Amino acid sequence: MPRFPSRRAFLITGAALGGTALVAAVGGVGYLSTLDVDGLDGHVEGDLAHLNAFVILHEDGRVVVNVPKTEMGQGIHTGLAMLVAEELDIPWDDRISVVFPTEPHPAYSNWFNALQIRPEEATGPVVWIGRRVLGQLGFIATGASGSTMGMWHPMRVAGASARHMLVAAAAARLVVPEAELTTRDGAVLHEASGRRLPYGALAREAALLSPPDDPVLRNPADWQIAGRSQPRIDVPPKVRGTAVFGMDVVLPGMVYASIRHAPVFGASVARIVNEDEVRSEPGVTDVAIVGGRHVAVVAASWWQAEQAAWILDVEWTATEADGVSSGELNERLREGLDSEELHEHLVEGDIDSAFATEGARLVEAEYQVPFVTHACMEPINATVRIAEDGTAELWVPTQSPAFARRAVTRGAEWAGVSLGEVTCNVTLTGGGFGRRSDGDVVSEAIFLAARMQGRPVKLIWPREEDIGRGLYRSHAAARLRAALGPDGLPAGYDATVAAQSAMESIATRNLPFTPNPEGDALSLEGLDKPHYAIPDRRIRIAHVPSHMPIHFWRSNGYSFNTFFSESFVDECATAVGADPLDYRRAMLRDSPRHLAVLDRVAEMAGWGSPLGPGQGRGIAIEECYRSIVAQVAEVTVLPDGEVRVDQVFCALDAGLIINPDAVVAQMEGGIIYGIGTALMNALTIQDGAVQETNFHDFTMLRLANAPRIDVALVQSGELPCGVGEPGVVPAAAAVANAIFAATGRRLRSLPLANVETVGERRIRTILPAAAS
Amino acid sequence: MKITSPIVSRRSLLRGSAAAAATSLAHAGRASAQDATAESAFEARIDLRLNVNGHQHALTVEPRVTLLDALRERMQLTGTKKGCNRGECGACTVLMDGRRVNSCLVLAASADGREITTIEGLADGDTPHPVQRAFAEADAFQCGFCTSGQIMSAVACIEEGHTGSPKEIREWMSGNLCRCSAYPQITAAVAAAAEELG
Repeated sequence: MPRFPSRRAFLITGAALGGTALVAAVGGVGYLSTLDVDGLDGHVEGDLAHLNAFVILHEDGRVVVNVPKTEMGQGIHTGLAMLVAEELDIPWDDRISVVFPTEPHPAYSNWFNALQIRPEEATGPVVWIGRRVLGQLGFIATGASGSTMGMWHPMRVAGASARHMLVAAAAARLVVPEAELTTRDGAVLHEASGRRLPYGALAREAALLSPPDDPVLRNPADWQIAGRSQPRIDVPPKVRGTAVFGMDVVLPGMVYASIRHAPVFGASVARIVNEDEVRSEPGVTDVAIVGGRHVAVVAASWWQAEQAAWILDVEWTATEADGVSSGELNERLREGLDSEELHEHLVEGDIDSAFATEGARLVEAEYQVPFVTHACMEPINATVRIAEDGTAELWVPTQSPAFARRAVTRGAEWAGVSLGEVTCNVTLTGGGFGRRSDGDVVSEAIFLAARMQGRPVKLIWPREEDIGRGLYRSHAAARLRAALGPDGLPAGYDATVAAQSAMESIATRNLPFTPNPEGDALSLEGLDKPHYAIPDRRIRIAHVPSHMPIHFWRSNGYSFNTFFSESFVDECATAVGADPLDYRRAMLRDSPRHLAVLDRVAEMAGWGSPLGPGQGRGIAIEECYRSIVAQVAEVTVLPDGEVRVDQVFCALDAGLIINPDAVVAQMEGGIIYGIGTALMNALTIQDGAVQETNFHDFTMLRLANAPRIDVALVQSGELPCGVGEPGVVPAAAAVANAIFAATGRRLRSLPLANVETVGERRIRTILPAAAS
Repeated sequence: MKITSPIVSRRSLLRGSAAAAATSLAHAGRASAQDATAESAFEARIDLRLNVNGHQHALTVEPRVTLLDALRERMQLTGTKKGCNRGECGACTVLMDGRRVNSCLVLAASADGREITTIEGLADGDTPHPVQRAFAEADAFQCGFCTSGQIMSAVACIEEGHTGSPKEIREWMSGNLCRCSAYPQITAAVAAAAEELG
């Protein structure tokens, strides 16, 4: 296994002394004049020249880019490799490939996500210490829309540093000054003598040189590869069917497992009633109680394991949640809102006097959303081999090798074994949406593999376990109040949300400590609207526990709070008879970046132009993951109540863009994810258990009913911002506001539509069919 | 030979009586007596000859095995994906005698003697099929997990002549879910390939 030497000491000293990355604005986009990047030392290993922790060269000129980010469709392998190609001066062609490095090198950790900061902005001792600690802990994860934000600078430096080392190697070989050398198309050129040395021929010498102290980075204004759309690096294997997702891993001697989790979360296995019968099913080699909680069946094929699991008869232990239903859980949310013990997250100005002002117009509304799940297309799975010597190797489509490693420890504890070195191979991933950062399936697979005497086991959850026994975004409710001043705009804003703490639930399953669930940051996202000019505001939150396991879900709190808050802004506008666009413009008067995005989307949508009968337009805007995103939805509500989302316009300021096509695709995908969820998705809890099981009752938008989408990228001179989640964020509010515009009906809970039979048609309606 | 309708619910087949399985057995017509002690027809095996991507595969399987599981686990053709295992998502779409089917809803036994084409068999050597090329050029996927099924479905959709307009494409490609929602690009890719294939 490769080991990279740690970063040279002087850099650490340098960071401690001063500093930091200075950001200079050149040509309208910032670039960084100091590097402050870990992992730039090289080494040679066999035929491979590791120029640093990110760039590996073959002798034949092939370039392997180490990208410690999970490719789950967002195109991050392509985007980050483009930056390396740009700085290394190689063409964007098939000489470039990307791998997810298996080694937990500190350079791969995303301390910047955990600290909510970009690497180039890291300043101060707290950040510095946090960075070193998280780096040493190997905290590697893909999420929070942070991959480009966190990695764009290190990837550029890695490419530029490698190029400098290749030039230095060529200078030594040719005995000429470096200044006489240039690079082009993957080779170093000495134009005076016409000599040309391909990178591959220089790589081994270059890898042993010291990296430059301060490699010059290309100004983004001069980019040739980055900044313009490039073909995805994963196109050929994905259209040929040769791409290997976690589920496709095949190892010699492998056995397969399926699993059943308790219907009610928190229950354990009391006994397996018919274990002998299940064991006698064709191909079955093992029936195991996993961690006391779940029952797995191991067989010669997954099909046999799953067939045998179908006839499992398990008695589960009773839990306090056995009688719990959606109605009771909703009631608990309302009690949370009414609680005297609310956690005060933010208070600005004098909220009480704002609401007591004589003549202030008061607006108040309550909103609610249900539990939903991720429903990644690739079922949840992990493949594990534990060798006779106790070393373990994983092949897993995970968003977090850090959590996966933690999960290995837990699975080994369940099995009562101690493991040696653990190698985590991160495979291609069929969708993530936050779901795949959890280590649940890894612990289960480790437990099973520990019983297999060296044979690998592939555990795949059937879809029913993913939907009905999986991980969820919390349900939530909110009470929003506004005191409108003489100008009709909110002078006071008082928002309370009740939800189950995501961080507590996530940490309970994946970390050795549990944070305080009060004031859960993930449940607050999108509620406080700092960009709106509101003098007095108060944001409060109630943590409402339940037995349901909560997890990261594409955009977390934004997915509900922005529905609440941006619907409510429309309600305030309606209260004073104002146009929703004009109203937001007035509230954003001090936020030019937001105004530019808002105006752009309004222009795209032809805001204010006439629409057909039954049609309506709705607008919503949010700042999230450092991006500003605004959307206008156009809906049609037919006389029988059928609702259709016809078109969505989206304007996005995500700062400097690396791969425009990929960013547009993230918006399109996010919008359809957000709209599908808003229109259709809710999980029903009865007798403590989720009732939905598969794609027929947890539905998603299909091609025929997906809206047309038009995306514009707005440039503001910001550095790269997050794009994985912002597309989801305003979608629900934009559609709800459009339905209000079309019908005068304000829908304050999700899902917006019910599936009903009208005549011979099954349609999504917002009105009872009888009322049509 | 008359095929078992792929529309029939897989679960009703799988959960059905031994008699139903025996019917499949008789239908396939080549019961092997591998397990002489077998009391249930479920423990019986049948011999199949599957013609997949132009190659003959001789398999001995339980009668209940679906075409999808036979492809993925017996022939290691993992390009065909399993998303829901109940005909909702289309990730497992393959061609059977040129028609698209959800291979999770087709018993391997009913594919006996039929021509099966999977994503691995679509290209002509190194030359990709026009639909594969169109999907590549349009970047018509994100995670790519549904892509095999989308491409196979698109090949049949074009063959069926259901590509007269974007609206028609959207309707006739709606059996294939894409959770990443690369729908605009998928529509564009199918339209481009349809035009090329005339």
